[in-house]
Formats: sequence, structure tokens, C-alpha cells
Amino acid sequence: MQGLAPYVLQRLLWAPVILFAVSVVAFSLGRFAPSDYVELQAGPRASNETIERIREARGLNDPVYQQYGSYVLNFLQGDFGDSIIYRGVPVEDVILPRVWVTVQYNAVVILLTFVIAIPIGIVAALRRGTWLDPMAIGVFLLFASVPVLVTIPILQWLLAVQLGWLPSGGWEVREFYGVEIGLLSKRIILPVLILTLPGVAGLARYMRAQTLEVLDQDYVRTARAKGLQGFTVVSRHVARNALLPIVTILGFELAALIAGSIFLETLLGIPGIGSYAFESVKSRDYDSIMAIVLLGGGAFIGANLLVDITYGFIDPRIRLGGEVR
Amino acid sequence: MESRKLVLVLTGVAVALIVVIGGFSAVLLLGGGDDDGSSGSDSSPGASPAAGSTPLPDRVEGELRLFGPDPITLDPACASDAGSAEYIVEVFSGLVSFDRELNLIPDIASGWDISDDGTVYTFHLRTNVQFHDGSRRVTASDFKFSMERALNPRTQSTVGEVYLDDIVGARAFVSGEANEVTGIRVIDDNTLEITIDAPKSYFLAKLSYPTGFVVDQREVGDSTCFSGANWTLRPNGTGPFRLAEWSLGQRIELEANSRYYLDPMPSLAKVTYILAGGSALIMYETDEIDLTGVGVNDIERIRDLNDPLNAEFVEVESMDTFYIGFNTQEPPFNDRRVRQALAMAIDKEFLADTILKELVVAANGILPPGIPAYNPNLEGLPYDPDRALELLDDAGGPELLNDKVLLTSGRGASLGPIVDALLLMWEQNLGVTITVQQEDFGLFLRDLDEGDFDMFDLGWIADYPDPQNFLDIKLHSQSDNNETAYSNPQVDELLEQARTEPVEETRFRLYREAEAIIVQDAPWIPLYHGKANALIKPYVEGYVVPPFVIPNLRYISISR
Repeated sequence: MQGLAPYVLQRLLWAPVILFAVSVVAFSLGRFAPSDYVELQAGPRASNETIERIREARGLNDPVYQQYGSYVLNFLQGDFGDSIIYRGVPVEDVILPRVWVTVQYNAVVILLTFVIAIPIGIVAALRRGTWLDPMAIGVFLLFASVPVLVTIPILQWLLAVQLGWLPSGGWEVREFYGVEIGLLSKRIILPVLILTLPGVAGLARYMRAQTLEVLDQDYVRTARAKGLQGFTVVSRHVARNALLPIVTILGFELAALIAGSIFLETLLGIPGIGSYAFESVKSRDYDSIMAIVLLGGGAFIGANLLVDITYGFIDPRIRLGGEVR
Repeated sequence: MESRKLVLVLTGVAVALIVVIGGFSAVLLLGGGDDDGSSGSDSSPGASPAAGSTPLPDRVEGELRLFGPDPITLDPACASDAGSAEYIVEVFSGLVSFDRELNLIPDIASGWDISDDGTVYTFHLRTNVQFHDGSRRVTASDFKFSMERALNPRTQSTVGEVYLDDIVGARAFVSGEANEVTGIRVIDDNTLEITIDAPKSYFLAKLSYPTGFVVDQREVGDSTCFSGANWTLRPNGTGPFRLAEWSLGQRIELEANSRYYLDPMPSLAKVTYILAGGSALIMYETDEIDLTGVGVNDIERIRDLNDPLNAEFVEVESMDTFYIGFNTQEPPFNDRRVRQALAMAIDKEFLADTILKELVVAANGILPPGIPAYNPNLEGLPYDPDRALELLDDAGGPELLNDKVLLTSGRGASLGPIVDALLLMWEQNLGVTITVQQEDFGLFLRDLDEGDFDMFDLGWIADYPDPQNFLDIKLHSQSDNNETAYSNPQVDELLEQARTEPVEETRFRLYREAEAIIVQDAPWIPLYHGKANALIKPYVEGYVVPPFVIPNLRYISISR
């Protein structure tokens, strides 16, 4: 596995550069948006002089580069600023519990997606040409192409309002040794279902395509020619090789989940990082927006790095750093 | 070799998945039943949770469960929105408050004397008021500290001046010319003297707003409205309820303050606000909460006498007015006839009854019902399209209104049914096309303050039940909050007279006279007054829908 360490190091060195670029864009986009949080918070009763005085005191009248500079300085000292939505509460105290909420149900979604989608994709490929195949493709396409914005109200209406099987939304926790766990509540089923359906559909479609490609390979034909049983061929030769590219999807899956959780949490009233992202943009909650963007960016970089490393680990033919020998 | 590794990795992943998913589903199966409180073993699958036979959810004896958004802040000095104030009035308290009949009542002050000239208030504090942690009683210097903190520019409160600037020396303190508010004097532990700049009968009512509440100076430290506010997550207040837990975005738990000093003491042991969740109405129907308001989408269903929820529905008129305001300093809106024409071209009954489904009542004047001095016989500008057209023609015709813009706050989504209807009525009745510009709320307010608009739509909600809070604050020519820049010397004189008029009857008459003139001058088109409504479970007793924010929970009890 030589070559892995320098590669990882190189990627790690790039991470701050990427985050820096991301932070500059997010910061200036926020500042150039019309009005700011002082105005939004002040409401119709406060006088102009009061608003101006507070804005001045909070440094909002300084040039943007200067504001950015002091943000970075504070950030490096571990001061991530204060929330506006929860006025004056340090950003990390607000965000970390919310990240934990989002991580919990998304972890379940990722696990379920892979466990369900992979066998379905393989079976669909093996049944190519039968009535099962077009049906499966149709169902995949349907679920993969309907956006969560549409599935959320439909499932909510059906499962919560009409059938009354599930709570309509929200989040409920139980405490275990001081850790608040939301996995044990019925409330997690609806969000998991909503995100897993399109995930499974997309991944199964991809898995089916991969399997079909592998099925056409010479070594599969050779294996069959050797007289191996169908199941052995599939498990040992087909599935294993078809799975390889699937690992890369994990990174993209993560990005899709981060985006999806914004809608999902807002519509279902889940107190995770997605609904908070939505609220903080509405409230011009600068420090919260920055923290969320940097956190999301960091998570994305981290996940993709992990995928690359895993990939290199699974298949040494893929030489990291781009050179092919 | 590589295939061996792949197998290892995949096996590991598979084992992890099985463990996690197995555990997950096992816990779901075992623990899922607790969510609706039933044991789960015998309940028939698929039973609708809304059905009457469902066992009631687990709850603490005497617990009231409500649905609420998070407050923006629990710092009384900083709160500028009704949502925050609703929590603050239960957890904190001040010198005076309002009871449910909207009488101003003594709170931490047991009584007060007012000097003959009406400017010096001497408050006598109760001696048995303690902070929630029981460590200390509230004294006059706590009030001086708390009010000066709200006014202190360091605190960065947007509302400190709004509610406390009648106090002598407040402006000098805000501008940094003085290091204390001279009008707030601590006579002794039990006596606080507040001097105001002129006799103002509404001053006491302003003190019922959180800005004048007392905070524990040991815990607030040097926190401001925008930083260092960790203490607000577990504040040490004086109100009827103690904040036991605030899990951000998830729930707030209040517990009765056993040291509370007013009668009645809280009867509820606990109040839980569920902060996360989708639809409050669904949660009400599934017995997750005991009380909720109803929005425009559900109102028809609830009003239907055949709906089971109808029996649990109540509504009262709330103290607010929604209106169109004109820039009365700029042509063509500096011409009264143009404003009157636009007003008389609007069918307010249609807006209120048909479009908003009677969730609101059509407004005739500025003051909402429920405000003392409200005049039910006020002669407003009637819906009269013919007269409106005449007025507009006299003033110069419809082309005066070409390119005129209605400024509204919004985020680029649909304009909403009211604005749509207004545009249509103006077009049909007057033949004018008004354009609409949507702006983010902050920017919208800035443009209003700077007079950078033709016309706008906005609402005003009572801070305290007094006509001064509407007429003087919104329509006196010198008021900061007079966005329309409306100026009528005759109205100003009436309003100024009312400020210092000691006899209530005379005072209200002055306000009625001023209102009658204003309505004819039409700097505003009053559109409608809102209503507050609620669905209340039958076992909740003593709840009265308040028309504005008052400490309400201590009157409520649960019986079953």
C-alpha cells in the first residue's frame, strides 16, 4: 500500500484551502444579501438610531474583508460566534446537538440504502429479460425521480393523517447514559422512509447496471464454462466486481443527504442541522450559516477522502494520485 | 490477494449492518409502543390514534402540553417579539402585569402612589418575592439594575428605549451622557421611585412589557442581546413558572414556582412545550398536545358543527390592526382624495369574510375591538366604488397612480390572497394598476423608516391595551413609528391632550375624536383585525384565549 500515506497527506493539505475558498464565498454572499440580522430582529418598533447604533457596535458597518478577517481570527481561536436564532447562545452549543440529530437518522438511511439496494440491483440484473426487470426499472425510476419535496407531504398525509400509523413529524429522544438517542422513537420512521426510498432506487439502478456490465465480462463466461454453479458465480465473481464502483457513490450519497435534510427537517419539524440551515439563512444568522457551511464542507471532504482511501485499499490497481501503471 | 481483502471489508460491513439494523428494529419493536403510551401488546394494529378509544398518553399528573416554536430569546431586556414574550411572562415578572380581564394589576409591586402632577411613581414592593432558586429576594435595586441594563447601549437591546424612554434621564443614559438613569431611584429595599418626563397614564401599562422585568444580576453578568446569553437556557426568574429545561429545538419544560407570590398560585405541576414537529393540529388530534391554535387552512373544517373538534374550539378578537399605509408626504398620496379613493374601492367585508374565512373581522377604524376607547359606531370610509372613482377623478384621474408601488414584505413567493384581492379591486373599481414589490422584512422596515415607498401593507399588534399604543405611537406627526409621516395639527393636539388627561372618560373621548379625523384623512386604510383562536381539550380548565400576551398559565388546571 505504498503511496497511500503521501496521497492522504496531500488531500489533507488541500482541505483547508478548499474550506477557505468555501468560507470566503459563503461569508461574502451572506453580507451582500439585502438587510442584516439587526434589522430583522429589531422589528417595527425600534428606531433607526437604535438599529444603527447596534449595527455599529457589532461591527456590521465595517468593510466586508475586515469583518471576514475578524471572523477568521475568532474562528482560529475556537470562537465560532453567537447564534441569532437563539440569540446570543454560542453557535457550537446550538449546532452540535443538531448535528447529532441529523447524523442519527442519516446513518440509518445510508445503512438501509446499501443493504436493500445492492441485492435488489443484482437480482434485477439477473432477471433481465423477464417481466420483473422492466417493472423494477420502472419503480426505480419513479422513486429516484420524484423529489423529496413531493414525497414528504404525500407520505405524511398517507401514513400520519389518513392511516394514523406514524406521528406526523417531530423528534423525540430518550436518554442513555447522558446521550440523547432519537433512534428509538417511531418518529424516526417517516424521515428514514422518505430518504431511503429514492436512495435505494438510485443505488439499485446503478447496481443493476454495474452487474449487467460484469455479467458480460470474459471472466464470468469463463467461470460459467468451468461449470461453476450460478450462485457461486454471482457471489464470487459478479457481485464482488460490480460492488467496487458502488463505494464511490457513498460520497455523492452524503451530499444528497445533506441537501435533502434541509427540506426534510423543515417540513417534518426535525430539530437537526438541515432545518437550522434553512432558518439561519432566513434570519441572516451569519455565524450559524458560516459554521454550517464549513461543517458541511468538512464532512463532504472527509467522506470523499475516506471513500478514496477505502477504494485504494479494496483495489490496489487504482493507484492513488492519478498515475496508472 | 485483493479479493481476499474485499471479502474481508464486505464481511465487516455486512456484520456491522446486521448488528445495527437488527438492534434498531428490535428496539423499535420493543420500545415503539411507548410512544403512544399504550403497552403495545394488546392494542389492535391499525387503530387510528385519533379514535376515542385510544388510551391517553402517559403524562405527569397536572401536566399541560403545548406546541410552540422556540423563543428567539428569554432575556427580558432583549425580547421584541410576541413569541418570546409568551415564555418570558411566565418565567419572569415585573412591577405590574395584566390579568385575564385585562385589568392592570400589581405584580412584584404590591401597590404604588402617583404624585399629584402625575410624574412620580412610588412603587411598594412585596417583601416575599424570591428568585426561583430561593437564594435571594427581589429588592428595589434589582429593578434599577434590570431597567438600566435594558437601556444600556452595551446591552444592544432594540426595545429598551421603546418601552422605558418615558423615564427621566433615560435618553441621557442611552446616549452615554449619564452613567445612571436619574429617574429610577432606590428609596430602600422595598421602595422604588420612578419619575417620568410628563404625566402619562399609559406608563404603567408599558411596564408590563418584559423590558421592565427583573433579572438576577448575578447570572446575567455582562451578557448582551447578541452574545453571552448561555444563562437564558436556564434563567433564574421570578415568574409563576420556573424553566426546568430548554432543549433547543426539542422541548421546553416549565415547573410551577412553589414560591410564587400572587393568587392564584399555579395549579399545573408542569408545562411542556413541544418545539419540534410538523402540524400542531395533527398533534392535537393524536392527543400529543392539549391546546393549539387553528390556521386558515383548517378553519372551515373546525367551524363545521359536525366536526368532532368543533366543540373544543373558541375564538376571541385579538388586539391588532392590519392596514395599508400611504406615503402622505409624496404626490399623489399627499392628496387626501387619492387616499380616500383607494380606501373606498376596497370591499373589506369580502377580504375578511370570504378570503380569510372569517379568521379576521373587517376594520372600520384604527383601534381594534378590545382596546378601551374602541368606538363601535365609528363612521369609517365605506366601500363605495362610484364615490371612489369620483374622488380619484377630482384629484386628477387614474393616471396619477401609474407606476405606483405597493411595498410588501415577503421572500418572492406568492403575494398572498389579500394583496392579490387588493390589486384586483383597485383595478376593477378604479382602473388603476398598482405594482407590487416584495422585500425581505428587514429591508422592508428600513424603507418604511426612510420613507422610501409609495404605499405598504403592515400590521400593528398592541403592546398594552391602551389607545395611545395605536393612535399616538403610529399617527402622531412626531412619532418614530409614524411611517406614513401623517401630520395633522388638530390630531396632534388631541393626542397630546390625551397624554396628560387624568380623567379616563375624557381621555378616551379625545382618542375617539382623533381617530375619527384620522379615518377620514385616510393615511391608513384599516383592513382588518385579527382573531386569536384555540382548540382546547375538555379536561383543560380555566384557559382563556388572551387577545395579547399576558401571564396566562397559572389560571389553568387539568381535571381528569
